[in-house]
Amino acid sequence: MNPLRVALAVARKDLRSEWRTRELVPALAQFIVLALLIGNFGFQIDARNANTITPGILWLALVFAGLVAFGRTFASEREQASLEAMLMTPASPVAIFAGKALAATALLVICEAVLLPALNLFFGADISGDVVAAVLLATIGMAVLGCLFAAVVARTRARELLLPLLTLPLWIPFIVAGGLAVQSAMGLPGNYQQAIGLLIDFDILFVVLTSLAARFVLDE
Amino acid sequence: MSVIVADGLTHRFGAELALEAVDLVLDTGEHIAVLGDNGAGKTTLLRILATALRPTAGRLQIAGLDAFRERRRLRHYLGYVAHSPGLYPALSAIENLEFFCDLQDVNRTRAGEAVEIVGLGHMAHRRAAELSRGMQQRLAIARAILHEPRLLIMDEPNASLGSDAADLLTHVMRGRTVVLATHDQALANRLCPRTLVLRHGRSLGTATHLRVVQ
Repeated sequence: MNPLRVALAVARKDLRSEWRTRELVPALAQFIVLALLIGNFGFQIDARNANTITPGILWLALVFAGLVAFGRTFASEREQASLEAMLMTPASPVAIFAGKALAATALLVICEAVLLPALNLFFGADISGDVVAAVLLATIGMAVLGCLFAAVVARTRARELLLPLLTLPLWIPFIVAGGLAVQSAMGLPGNYQQAIGLLIDFDILFVVLTSLAARFVLDE
Repeated sequence: MSVIVADGLTHRFGAELALEAVDLVLDTGEHIAVLGDNGAGKTTLLRILATALRPTAGRLQIAGLDAFRERRRLRHYLGYVAHSPGLYPALSAIENLEFFCDLQDVNRTRAGEAVEIVGLGHMAHRRAAELSRGMQQRLAIARAILHEPRLLIMDEPNASLGSDAADLLTHVMRGRTVVLATHDQALANRLCPRTLVLRHGRSLGTATHLRVVQ
């Protein structure tokens, strides 16, 4: 059985369901609008300080949008009792997990595709290819960790409380390295190459670890 | 040849004993009904037999393989209709089945065949959320037979099915080894020559339906 076929089928199914129900997109859109409003009215952003303040707004919006996006990935499966049906197939739990993470990542990338141009448009932040690369690399690691803990807490009643408690501490490396990379890409002091190297290292580490853990989390 | 050999299956949910030392041997092509009141342990037993739940104690062999060591290999061999349909409400009936075709590694044309077998051909493009409970149950049965399993485990498959439940179940059970849990003794008698009765998680033994009635 081809794990890639399984992962793509799961991701396609999740995105198709989201397209039809629009459960998550309004909540994610709200976070983006809120982040832009806070940026606009909470800070005095102008051309001189845009590159100093917008990275903070960017990461705040992504962290909260990510918690919402990843939190629903397994909760809806549990509520519909459909996770067991998926796990009763010969498909590898790791491929199923990868598909869920892929769909959640795609949703967050859609948020980023709106947020990044908006930061440029409204605040005049320098959104270069380097900024986009840093954000995408951080998204990969945040997605796999977010989905893993979403799978863990989906069995519990207090999942909305537990997910941030478990996930946020492990997102810190991505927020720190991603923040440094975005700042240096926007012309602030810092070593972009070093920060991107760290992000790639963290991505590899957590993709491997979560793949190993996903089998046990989903299979039992 | 024995398809299922269960020896002393026991399961606890915390301190609560849900199933106690249940033995069962089922030969190829045999149909057995599991009867019992609510909380008797029917669903727990079926989930263990379907390898969805690992028993606290006891051994289970399916088709000569250790059911829990080889459970991924056995997923090709068995089909399971769970207590709740577990469908994707935003997807149509056919999309639900096509998704599981991808996961079962079978051709997607099989989805069309399965939806016809359960009598949902005319509803194939309706979203699962728009189907009645009985139609959702039919869809869950269609999903369980997508990969032509030789062993079929069904937990209350007649729930909300309507008057032709027995005909549909007879059709999908043909040529397969079946374990079926139900409250409906008349249906059990009609579909299964053997019956296993559970009470408070304990097996009262297996027998032909005449002896159960007695």
